[in-house]
Amino acid sequence: MSEALVDALNPALFWEYRQVLLRGLAFNAYVFFSAATVALIVGLAAALLRVNRAWPFRWIGTLHVEVFRNAPDYIMVIWVHFVLPLLLGKLIGQRVEFSPFASAVIALGFVYSGYFAETFRAGIQSIPQGHLDAGRACGMAESTILWRIILPQVVRRMLPEAVNQFVSLFKATTIVSLIAVPDLMYQVSMVTQQEMRPLPLYTGAAVTYFAVIYVVAGSVRGLSERWRNKIYA
Amino acid sequence: MSNWERLVWNQRGLLWQGLAVTIEVCAIAFAMAIVGGLLLCLVRMHVRPLRPVAIALIEFFRATPIFVQLMWVNYVWPELFGWPNTFFTAGWVALGLQSSGYLAETFRAGIEAVPRGHREAGYSVGMSPFQVYRRIVLPEMLLTVAPSIVNQFTVIVKSSTLVSVITVPDLMLQAMKLVNIWYEPIEVLTATAAIYIGFVFLVSTAGKALADYQRRRFGLNAA
Amino acid sequence: MDAIPAIRVVDLRKNFGALEVLRGVSFDVHRGSVVSMIGASGSGKSTLLRCINRLETPSAGEVFIDGEPMGGPVTANGERKERPLSDINRMRRDLGMVFQQFNLWPHMTVIGNVIEAPLRVRRMKRKAAIALAEECLARVHLSEKGTEYPARLSGGQMQRVAIARALAMQPKAMLFDEPTSSLDPELTDEVLTVMRELAADGTTMIVVTHEMAFARDASDRVLFLHNGQIEEEGPPDQVFGAPKSERCRQFLSKKLQ
Ligand SMILES: Nc1ncnc2c1ncn2[C@@H]1O[C@H](COP(=O)(O)OP(=O)(O)O)[C@@H](O)[C@H]1O
Ligand SMILES: [Mg+2]
Repeated sequence: MSEALVDALNPALFWEYRQVLLRGLAFNAYVFFSAATVALIVGLAAALLRVNRAWPFRWIGTLHVEVFRNAPDYIMVIWVHFVLPLLLGKLIGQRVEFSPFASAVIALGFVYSGYFAETFRAGIQSIPQGHLDAGRACGMAESTILWRIILPQVVRRMLPEAVNQFVSLFKATTIVSLIAVPDLMYQVSMVTQQEMRPLPLYTGAAVTYFAVIYVVAGSVRGLSERWRNKIYA
Repeated sequence: MSNWERLVWNQRGLLWQGLAVTIEVCAIAFAMAIVGGLLLCLVRMHVRPLRPVAIALIEFFRATPIFVQLMWVNYVWPELFGWPNTFFTAGWVALGLQSSGYLAETFRAGIEAVPRGHREAGYSVGMSPFQVYRRIVLPEMLLTVAPSIVNQFTVIVKSSTLVSVITVPDLMLQAMKLVNIWYEPIEVLTATAAIYIGFVFLVSTAGKALADYQRRRFGLNAA
Repeated sequence: MDAIPAIRVVDLRKNFGALEVLRGVSFDVHRGSVVSMIGASGSGKSTLLRCINRLETPSAGEVFIDGEPMGGPVTANGERKERPLSDINRMRRDLGMVFQQFNLWPHMTVIGNVIEAPLRVRRMKRKAAIALAEECLARVHLSEKGTEYPARLSGGQMQRVAIARALAMQPKAMLFDEPTSSLDPELTDEVLTVMRELAADGTTMIVVTHEMAFARDASDRVLFLHNGQIEEEGPPDQVFGAPKSERCRQFLSKKLQ
């Protein structure tokens, strides 16, 4: 056991492959930022549907949230990668294929749009009706009220929860290795097949992800708190 | 519609088996997460010398992606500790670890939310600190955090799809097997996704209803 | 009047860091008597009550319950040995405490709240505990609410349950910390009525209160606390009729106008 422990904690092998592993980590970041963009845009759209006065819109928004919030990331990634292109192909009558990267971004983006939509909605509904009335009383257009009065407050209110969701999304990017997006986990499994030494490699991966998430999430939480406190002090 | 019948309906036995394994893995992981989370939380709050250890474990479990933890438990632990010795065990251990970290923090927040006066009322009628904890603090905490516990179970179910990667024969693995036999993924994967979404929806709706029912029974507002 | 008072407080002091909250408080409460404690907010009334049943540990001084020191006996060389917690717990049973915020346990029914300590602290049989609880609930006029949960009661009802819960330990004395201060004015009377009845039954009570009418006609002695010291004390007629201390007079004139 002690030999195994030494082996597991020895970073030499991990260090030897640092370049390819770092490139893998960059892929995690790449997937993360792309999927986060999709999630925010789609999530905001779904939230606006859910607070809409017309029931068909509300209904579509609710369906969107319930489907994606309750869907496991992994099955959605697999579904988007293997099923969605076939369906689209049938629709337009020619062969469609998604790159693993595109599938990962679409799947994770839509899954997390479900969570973001809920956060946005809670944020929007927490704004007192009076603020809207005040805007209307000044003769503001509805879109001005949305962009200048509602959204800035919503963003501040939902920030802590949104940060948690960004963290979850980043963690979820590790599964894209399963459809061969060359992220850190993918590289680790490749190197493991070559070197046949999973101990230091998987331990290194766990420690690396932990360190990145702990440090980045910690500082983002700190920053967002400070920013909020400026306003809600 | 014949594809649905051939690929999904006729294979329902296999899919059922898979779902049963999914439920089994999740139930064991959930039990482990509750016990482990309570233990971590109590150690963190009340066992001074072990506090840093508990904090380190909680933070590690929370900040490491579940897939990475699963691989780590599956490949590294057996050589390090000689355990887990089956993929099934590795699956629920990894799922349980992550959730125990989250639940530990949930429990702590719940305990800290119990008003100090409720404990003092216990002391003032002569209850011992242990009695106050067992009879007042913990039950009241459970009542507050019930919705979060339900939510954590749905997280476990969603993450459990990943145990198929280490060949635990859950619903996901059975679906992938069917796909690999006929190379016709549309119906099987769509049905599988729908089963998961439906199952998680059911669990979270029923769980929330149960938690709300409990709270209303005590005259509290639904959470 | 018997020789040994139910509660004797001797030169009690308490500081929180540099803040001196109690600066040498002494008084006796005799069996069957009611002592009201008045004073401005922040004068140390709550701290004094909490020191008496040791929810706070006093910095110096001693509290005797029926002649037995709460803080532990003095040894031959003059040092005081702190009692073990189990001892303090045993003595606490003799003091019922009623809090401003009620502090009912929300996950137990009314009856559950009242029988909890008799069952688990005094290890009574369930049947006997329930009979006792029903008796206590009758004394606070809440016999019909036994199966309700606290969240469904009004504030006045909650506070009366809290009184019943304290009574169920059959304490030697009851400590009340502003029992009506978080109640709507129309609900204070039902609680004060119960307290007057307890007083008339000969319950030993210390009552911190802002209800001057109650202090005046339900208590045997009134203490006016200022800055952690007893500034004025005496029978209600004297404290309310002819206070010696200027501060007490000012406090009362503000309260009574
Ligand atoms: N646990 C504590 N830590 C620090 N200061 C305290 C604590 N409890 C009470 N105090 C301070 O002691 C003073 C007296 O408080 P308290 O006994 O509650 O007064 P009262 O009940 O007469 O309003 C206040 O200034 C309060 O801020
Ligand atoms: Mg007070």
